[in-house]
Amino acid sequence: MALVLGIETSCDETAAAVVDEEFHVHSSVIESSLDQHRAFGGVVPELAGRAHVTTLGPVVQRALVDAGLNPHDPAIEGIAVTAGPGLIGSLLVGLSAAKALSLAWGVPYIGVNHLEGHLFAPLLEQSDLEWPLLTLLVSGGHSLIVRQSGPGQHEVLGETIDDAAGEAYDKVARWLGLGYPGGPEIDHLAQEGSPGNLKLPVSMTGEGYDLSFSGLKTAVVRATQKQKDLSVADVAASFQAAVAEQLLRKVALALEHYPVKGLALAGGVAANSALRLGMTELAKEFGIASHLPTMANCTDNAAMIAAAGIYRLRHDGPSAFDLSASPNWQLADVS
Amino acid sequence: MSWRRYCATSNATIAAGVEFAHVLSSGDIVLLTGTLGAGKTTFTKGVATGLGVSDAVTSPTFIMVREHRCANDRGIATLHHCDVYRVGTLDEVIDLALGELVEDAAVALVEWGELASSVFGRAVLTITFDVDDEDGRTLVVAGDLASSRGPLLDRWAS
Repeated sequence: MALVLGIETSCDETAAAVVDEEFHVHSSVIESSLDQHRAFGGVVPELAGRAHVTTLGPVVQRALVDAGLNPHDPAIEGIAVTAGPGLIGSLLVGLSAAKALSLAWGVPYIGVNHLEGHLFAPLLEQSDLEWPLLTLLVSGGHSLIVRQSGPGQHEVLGETIDDAAGEAYDKVARWLGLGYPGGPEIDHLAQEGSPGNLKLPVSMTGEGYDLSFSGLKTAVVRATQKQKDLSVADVAASFQAAVAEQLLRKVALALEHYPVKGLALAGGVAANSALRLGMTELAKEFGIASHLPTMANCTDNAAMIAAAGIYRLRHDGPSAFDLSASPNWQLADVS
Repeated sequence: MSWRRYCATSNATIAAGVEFAHVLSSGDIVLLTGTLGAGKTTFTKGVATGLGVSDAVTSPTFIMVREHRCANDRGIATLHHCDVYRVGTLDEVIDLALGELVEDAAVALVEWGELASSVFGRAVLTITFDVDDEDGRTLVVAGDLASSRGPLLDRWAS
């Protein structure tokens, strides 16, 4: 069974995993530098880059050992590494390591698009799922609605025109004096509040699939400046409801126009309780399968990178050694 | 010296950005100052349009610097849209090397740039965004570089 080593260092997670050609995960190791970033209320790029340098070696070694491989000369078919999008310093740590290991072990390597990696996450849990799929990919850096006719075949229907959903969560949380990351903090508080006490505008009401969260963020800032007596829990509940409303409305719109067999959720914001519930209900309403991968597979991880890498190695062949990191690599440019 | 322009709506903020593109010269760094939701990214969308950027201008917070290719007859080939909201220390802003980035027929617009204004090492333009109770924005342009753009800014502000 051909195995591929995946490496992911695009943001604050240092991750390595071993996955086989049928997308079975043999090992998956994730080290987060989140605790270092929490004090700053966000990922600190320089800290992230430095953290990857010190943790990547041991993380790769553990992933190989966990998969029953010889960490000094593993019997693998290739190495897949995130080449973008992400923080340039962080990406370069993973990419340089992948090139070095590729030369040392005499195996090919391939640079993978991080967003395409997320699209492979449902396959890690169910490799025989039915196509086509509609995927909502929402994280701290990205928000997209993607139609997939098969593995590696995708069409971006819409994406954020300003802030990513998770970024809006982080900024609103910081504005409200809550901790980082903002998603879990607001999600938790929202359970105690009522969305009825703060009316936020309904955004992106047109027919397209693009998303926008900057206006909601601004509306929260303005409202809390004007109404000092608003409870933080009510603000959190209103904001959460408004974000979920827009995302689910756009997904429903896409489902009406594009018949698919399954609905998938990916990215770190997939942890959000309102979104998980809403996506499950939408799939039921449209009579299709719902794919809500476990959080370990939704958030940044290397197993999804390995899975996408297996597909790309087979279809495109290995990357050249002059490949450089692409901090702004769009999913629409991957084909 | 400073120049003011009032923007009642977000479309007016975009229009102010489009026209501000004509104030810019290759090598300029512009620091955008204002609270969350004050209109910094909206204004940048306008500047990008004015510089002939065709791809979408989205928040650069996640990756810190987004590079946009420009098509104009003003000798500005690249717009660097930066956000130093997440930086931990000034060293990181120095690492971004914005002063070098703009030397190559480029301009940089830096959100939250006032946090790091001491490290750019060159004259800059600053734009402060003030939001009033009616959700209008007053944009105030100042900075060491502003006086050399007097006539252009007079036109922009009128």
